[in-house]
Amino acid sequence: MKKSELLRRMGKSKFFVIGAIIAVLVILTAFTSPLFVVHDPIQSNLRNRLIPPELFANGMSGFMLGTDALGQDIFTRLVIGCRISLLIAAAGVLIPACIGTALGAIAGYFGGAIDNVIMRICDIQLSIPTMVLAITVMAIFGNSVPNLLLVLAIVGWTSYTRVVRGSVMGIRNAEFIQASRVLGASNARILITQILPCVLTPLIILMSQQIGFVILTEANLSFLGMGVPLPQPSLGSMIADGREYIATAPWTVVVPGVALMIIVLAFNFLGDGVRDILDPKNKD
Amino acid sequence: MQNFMRFMMKRFVSAVIVIFGVTIVAFALMRLAPGNPAALMLPDNATAEQIAAVEVKMGLDKPVVQQYIIYITDVLHGDLGTSIFFNRSCAELIFGRLPATGLLTFAAVFVSILVSFPMGIISGIKKGSAIDFGSMVFALLGMSMSQVWLGLLFILFFGVYLGVLPTQGYGSFRNLILPALTLGLPLAALVTRMLRSGMFEVLQEDYITATKARGIGNFEIYTKYALKNALLPTITIIGMQIGQLLAGAIIVEQVFGWPGLGSLTVKAIHMRDFPLIQSILLVSATLFVAINILVDIIYVVVDPRMSLN
Repeated sequence: MKKSELLRRMGKSKFFVIGAIIAVLVILTAFTSPLFVVHDPIQSNLRNRLIPPELFANGMSGFMLGTDALGQDIFTRLVIGCRISLLIAAAGVLIPACIGTALGAIAGYFGGAIDNVIMRICDIQLSIPTMVLAITVMAIFGNSVPNLLLVLAIVGWTSYTRVVRGSVMGIRNAEFIQASRVLGASNARILITQILPCVLTPLIILMSQQIGFVILTEANLSFLGMGVPLPQPSLGSMIADGREYIATAPWTVVVPGVALMIIVLAFNFLGDGVRDILDPKNKD
Repeated sequence: MQNFMRFMMKRFVSAVIVIFGVTIVAFALMRLAPGNPAALMLPDNATAEQIAAVEVKMGLDKPVVQQYIIYITDVLHGDLGTSIFFNRSCAELIFGRLPATGLLTFAAVFVSILVSFPMGIISGIKKGSAIDFGSMVFALLGMSMSQVWLGLLFILFFGVYLGVLPTQGYGSFRNLILPALTLGLPLAALVTRMLRSGMFEVLQEDYITATKARGIGNFEIYTKYALKNALLPTITIIGMQIGQLLAGAIIVEQVFGWPGLGSLTVKAIHMRDFPLIQSILLVSATLFVAINILVDIIYVVVDPRMSLN
């Protein structure tokens, strides 16, 4: 696809445009946050407990979105927490995508016993419910960001493996692959230089659609106290902390909840948009 | 029929292999868990001799392979081990929680079908209409809502603000409403999307045009000819979701204090009750596999073409 055609389709997809705008705004805000936050995200101050949102009454130095039960500024925790969630989401999509693609390509290309073994491991993994597996692994290895990424890789790789395997099976006996083989190219070379570019499109679509799922999974784990380790703020643990005060100080739950919804919605829009743009069936 | 039996046999064999794999995973995770299981079972002031005695009793002094064989023999005899925290048999604990989880799962699937079928079917037929737009917004919202947030939103609105529904507990129909909605609506979002695209694609098929040409009414085309085919991928998704839900909707049960398998899992995790976690893993995977076999059977009943492959 030519660059101009790609840009034209990007502009035409409402989902993509809306999703991309919100996602870029969220990413920019989160990563520039150390430059403009005035409060400490971790230091508690009990004199400032549960102050309702002041919005812009006191400017940036006020508690724009209120404070939580420990007197911490919710806005500060929100933007700092987003930064961690976004970093985890990026790694949590990339790592399983690499593992899943490698295994899927091997399974699809070689077929036979290797394929059987890999797909059986896939089945075993899929038969253990995601959250049960995730919290078990977190409980065994302990709360830390690397372990969180391990969990996301364990629950995430199968979808990539299945998609890539399917695509590779469709092309492994294509003429251009056979031609390479006749010319003496090794399997590794064929896999990397011939097969990989062919599965890139479905891979990018799947990755863009998984971002939202990864953010939600991380938030759910953090809600259960099995995600981002404390005292590091994260959207999930902020919701969990606010739960007790939902009747008297609803903003402690509503603010991180709405933020989580907007972020995931933006990435889901983006995922749908990317599919509309890249999916060859999508001819207008 | 013969084809069907052969298909079921193959399906069953692969299910047994998968469950066997799960027992290995569950066993390996237990070995990776920190701490000596024998020491965990005893009070803090236990002597080294007491710990060693329990180790021998639990077979921890034997080689790993032999330990696994003992474990799998016990499982095959229906003995899932004893929970450290509750000091009761794991099987008893898990199956005691299943009714609550089953009820919640059933209610959630009911909610999701009730919401998604009309929306998905109508928006698939009338693509681009106001109803279609509405269902798409609903679907995207539903898929982007964390169940934590959706549940707390319901608690805030119906429990705190309106004060019309109980937000915690189990036992009455009114207790069931909010958890079932929280669990059912995201599922409804997923099914709406699938039905919509399924319906739309099927209606483009030649056989639908042919049916129209034969003068068969729209309503009959939609219900009798199109829906059956559009339904197939939906059945798979619902089946997989039921399998996941039966393992305990961990988040929803936690938010609403629902005494099902999910809250038992969280309890077991917090107490580092590894024998119980291991058994939950095994039972929920078995349930998942069983539900999927059931879905395959339904598939063959709905779509006879499937039985051949």
